[in-house]
Amino acid sequence: MRSFNLLVAMAASVAAVLFALAGVMLSYEVVARYFFSSPTIWAAELSQLCLIWGSFLGMSWLLAEQRHIRVDAVAFLLPERLRRCLDAFAMVVVALFAVIVAVWGFDIFFDSFSRGRTTGSLLNLPSWIAELSIPVGFMLLFAQALIETLRAWKGLHKQASVHEV
Amino acid sequence: MTVLIILGSLFGLLLMRVPVAFALGTVGLAMLLIGGFSPLMAPQSMLSTLDGFILLAVPLFLLMSNVLLKGGVGQDLFAAVQAWVGHWPGGLAVATILSCGVFAAISGSSVATAATIGTVAIPEMISRGYDRRFVYGLLAAGGTLGILIPPSIPMIVYGFVTEESVISLFLAGVGPGLLLITLFIGFSMIYARYWGGFVDQPAADWATRKATSKRALPSVGLAMLIIGGIYAGAFTPTEAAAIGFSAAVVITALVLRTLTWRGFKEACVESMITTVAILLIIGGAKIFGKAIALYRIPQDISTFLSQAIDTPLVFILAVTVVLLLMGLVFEALSMVLIMTPVLLPAAMNMGFDPIWFGIYMVIMVECALITPPVGLNLYVIQSVAKAPLGEVAHGVLMFLWLMFITVAVLYVWPDLALYIPFKL
Repeated sequence: MRSFNLLVAMAASVAAVLFALAGVMLSYEVVARYFFSSPTIWAAELSQLCLIWGSFLGMSWLLAEQRHIRVDAVAFLLPERLRRCLDAFAMVVVALFAVIVAVWGFDIFFDSFSRGRTTGSLLNLPSWIAELSIPVGFMLLFAQALIETLRAWKGLHKQASVHEV
Repeated sequence: MTVLIILGSLFGLLLMRVPVAFALGTVGLAMLLIGGFSPLMAPQSMLSTLDGFILLAVPLFLLMSNVLLKGGVGQDLFAAVQAWVGHWPGGLAVATILSCGVFAAISGSSVATAATIGTVAIPEMISRGYDRRFVYGLLAAGGTLGILIPPSIPMIVYGFVTEESVISLFLAGVGPGLLLITLFIGFSMIYARYWGGFVDQPAADWATRKATSKRALPSVGLAMLIIGGIYAGAFTPTEAAAIGFSAAVVITALVLRTLTWRGFKEACVESMITTVAILLIIGGAKIFGKAIALYRIPQDISTFLSQAIDTPLVFILAVTVVLLLMGLVFEALSMVLIMTPVLLPAAMNMGFDPIWFGIYMVIMVECALITPPVGLNLYVIQSVAKAPLGEVAHGVLMFLWLMFITVAVLYVWPDLALYIPFKL
């Protein structure tokens, strides 16, 4: 359990690094294009991969930290016991969604992998590199949602906090 | 009937506090399964959403504004503007709005804008005897400029889901943004004249003006670079965001020497959290959008609306009321993502320009950001100022009216938004 928490937290750190990395790569691309007239073929594509992997790696940690966006207005009016049940139910919904997406996402990945499909872009990377992020990310989310279901049931949820654009 | 069941289950899940991203995804997925469509569409939609180059601009703009926030740029900016206009009637309020406006041109987020400027402006204004409610309202409302003046994350999202040009949206935001700034400033000066009762500031001397402006110059230059670069077509919004992020790091770490390694790490983590939260909602909304399109729901609603409502004015009034009501409980971006696919076809039938409609949606989102009980800017000001939510909420009321005026002007005179992107 503790090692799983660590895994999820590490995945989130990797996500943060990937996003910053995308910024560095794209800056390099603009500078290379304007000042040295030698655009890269890898910057746009690799930063896109950073965005895909970063998002799916980060989402489980956001669930644990209660940082996903949700509608809190009505639930706060409810008595404590009922709210706990609803919170647990909400996490069951997330778990169900996650496991279905993970399973079908694995199909997409496995299909590309076994056929050796490629992106057909400049770098022509194997398609599965991006697609693998779905089963990996959503299996993590599935496990995290089960943990959160238990926590919610026992009332051990972390307190929600606010952020956003 | 189907429409009611679908919307009912979506709102049901949302009110039970299922995170918005997964509530949208779950309802979409359930519709696909029930309708006999392939559930493969769910992972595919998620993946194709994140494969959009324009959405890369979201983390990068967030990184830029968070780095500037941690680097204390808000302080420099406010000090400089204050040195120039601080002695006007209501000078601190005017300086606050102008600082929000300038920071809005660097940041695509209203929360970042409210937090950055609020941290410095609120204590300063209150120590000068400004009424607390007015101060909180001013900052919560001024912060919303962040998403109307380009760059703007909600505009990127709107452009992404409607496949409209994000650049046109950015440019269309400038006119209404300037109008709103003018209204805010005008109101502040009138307020100062008639309900003031606070200590006016002496005019700053030229030495102070020069010194503070020098420190604020890099940030203002960055804003010009980004807007100018996008406008001139030198780079795409995504590239502008990347350059902005790198430049922000250089400015705060090397020029101003205010960014610490710890601050940088915090900026990265904060940006990651917001990015993941936003992008997953877009992914969930994509599944939902696909599913309702397969059920032909947007067309049904569009047909229903065009039969029930015959003039554009009534349409916009009705939509405004619906969005205001939704804005009471919904977080801003979720509102854009749920309502845009449903409303845009009908709006275009009525003869509204999709870019115009995007700007209208953004202003409605601004209203949602400051209407209680759920308004993120209210929470931000509440936590920055450690003030009761009630006082903050009371303070924004006047500013809400100014936003309604902007919407009305925008309706009567669409060129307020459309002149710069299309006729200049």
